[in-house]
Amino acid sequence: MPYEEVKVKQPIIFKILAILSLLTFFGVWEFIVDAGIVPSTMLAAPSKVAILFVKKLTQANPDGATLGAHAWMSAKEAVTAYVLAIIVGVPLGLFMGWFKVVRGLARPIFEMIRPIPPIAWIPLCIFWFGIGIWGKVYIIWIAGIVPFTINSWVGVNMTDPALIQMARTYGATDWQIFTKICIPSALPMIFGALQISLAYCWTNLVGAELLAADKGLGFLIEMGRRLAMPEMVVLGMVCVGIGGALIGIVVDVLERRLLAGIRR
Amino acid sequence: MSNTIADEIVHHVKERQPLTIWSVLGNEYFLYCVSFISFLLIWHFIAAAGLLGLATPEATIKEMIRLMSVKLAGKNLFGHIWASSRRILIGFAIGAATGLPLGLFMALNRYVNAIVKPVFDLFKPMPPIAWISISILWFGIGEPSKVFIIVIGSFVPCVLNAYAGIRIIDPELYDVIRVLGGNRRQEIFYVSFPAALPALFAGIQISMSVAWTCVLAAELVSSRSGLGWIIIRGMKLTKPELVLGGMAVIAIVAWIFSAATSGIEKLLCPWKRGIKEL
Repeated sequence: MPYEEVKVKQPIIFKILAILSLLTFFGVWEFIVDAGIVPSTMLAAPSKVAILFVKKLTQANPDGATLGAHAWMSAKEAVTAYVLAIIVGVPLGLFMGWFKVVRGLARPIFEMIRPIPPIAWIPLCIFWFGIGIWGKVYIIWIAGIVPFTINSWVGVNMTDPALIQMARTYGATDWQIFTKICIPSALPMIFGALQISLAYCWTNLVGAELLAADKGLGFLIEMGRRLAMPEMVVLGMVCVGIGGALIGIVVDVLERRLLAGIRR
Repeated sequence: MSNTIADEIVHHVKERQPLTIWSVLGNEYFLYCVSFISFLLIWHFIAAAGLLGLATPEATIKEMIRLMSVKLAGKNLFGHIWASSRRILIGFAIGAATGLPLGLFMALNRYVNAIVKPVFDLFKPMPPIAWISISILWFGIGEPSKVFIIVIGSFVPCVLNAYAGIRIIDPELYDVIRVLGGNRRQEIFYVSFPAALPALFAGIQISMSVAWTCVLAAELVSSRSGLGWIIIRGMKLTKPELVLGGMAVIAIVAWIFSAATSGIEKLLCPWKRGIKEL
């Protein structure tokens, strides 16, 4: 190893700067709203958002559900679609990587559907599913499936050819090579898709809920706009941000666990 | 059954296979055609049977051709394509012009990093679409609110990739230029920027696709022109051919945009050509 890992201790000044910067950010935000530089119909002060947050934990008014119910609805949609995306996307990608017939049949359709932003499916989804949970699950699924398929496909394609030839020499069948060599060597790529796909899912979840929902964090944001309550809009945005970050951390831990035994 | 990876290796020793029915049926391009045609046929029969509220492919194409000459809300099809593209180009240009330098600064200067990173980390996990409502509150339902969302959407991936692009540079490259007697300025211009360029383009590519999602979401929520508006219009008039046609046009235009970006990337950083992309 040419480089040894050296832990350089960050000077204390950088920590102070970071805290100062955050404090300034919130301070300026609070100040410009309180001082009336930005009208309170356009932006809510952080203190107001915090108050509304506490209130919304128990109250269902004025948008019809408590914050917990909204968050639970969003999480349910996102997780259902995410799991479905894994179940369909990973095998599809693996088969597309290994079997020529599957690739030949699936690729044109996949390439046709891929450039359409998932949001564009919303009108069709409303035709098909109404504004219930399944329409949104479908949109999020479309968004989440692409990274899984592509990464598993690339993963299979990146298998070391020497390994495959070795297996052939020992008389392994195609199916054995696929299951014993290609799939394990594609795993790091597939795990890499977990994080990417999640980000897509979460983005499109909000989009789907803005347009067709009666519950969920995106709906909370939209209701905030309709009721001209900026604090509710900001609260919704903050919750979406926190939710995304939380799920991201969970997936990150999971990914690290899964990758722990694999040498890069 | 054969497979690609092994085929690539033994390709040069393989004799030219005789043309049999199986080699034709197993040909990849033949399968592409089969898949494409059966996709259209299934679509056609589902639509003709009146299931799922779809329009047939012919009706969709006819509707799109009709829209090229007939004006819908004062614009023909190309007018709507341009309306969406213009929003994307403006928003994306602003987002990239601010995001890329900021990301580079954050990676190159520890003070900038310490000040900007905490605030940026607050905004990072927030999907750009979540900004739609507040941007309507701020800018009304006109053009600026849509551009604003695209700016936000393309800003974040640009910053992240510029930052990561500098951070993942092989430290040996810095060692080389230091050994050759380069100063800090030369380090940045001869090592950091060229080595980070592929990552910058990856960021631009992601920004582009996020920008399309954003512009559609913005147009679906409130607008009077653009491709998203065509879709929502089709939904409100229950004209599925308008919805499907709109989706097809979006797919084509979005694909052209991303193809153009990768074309520029190939021109500007030829040292990345070796990496096969999918």
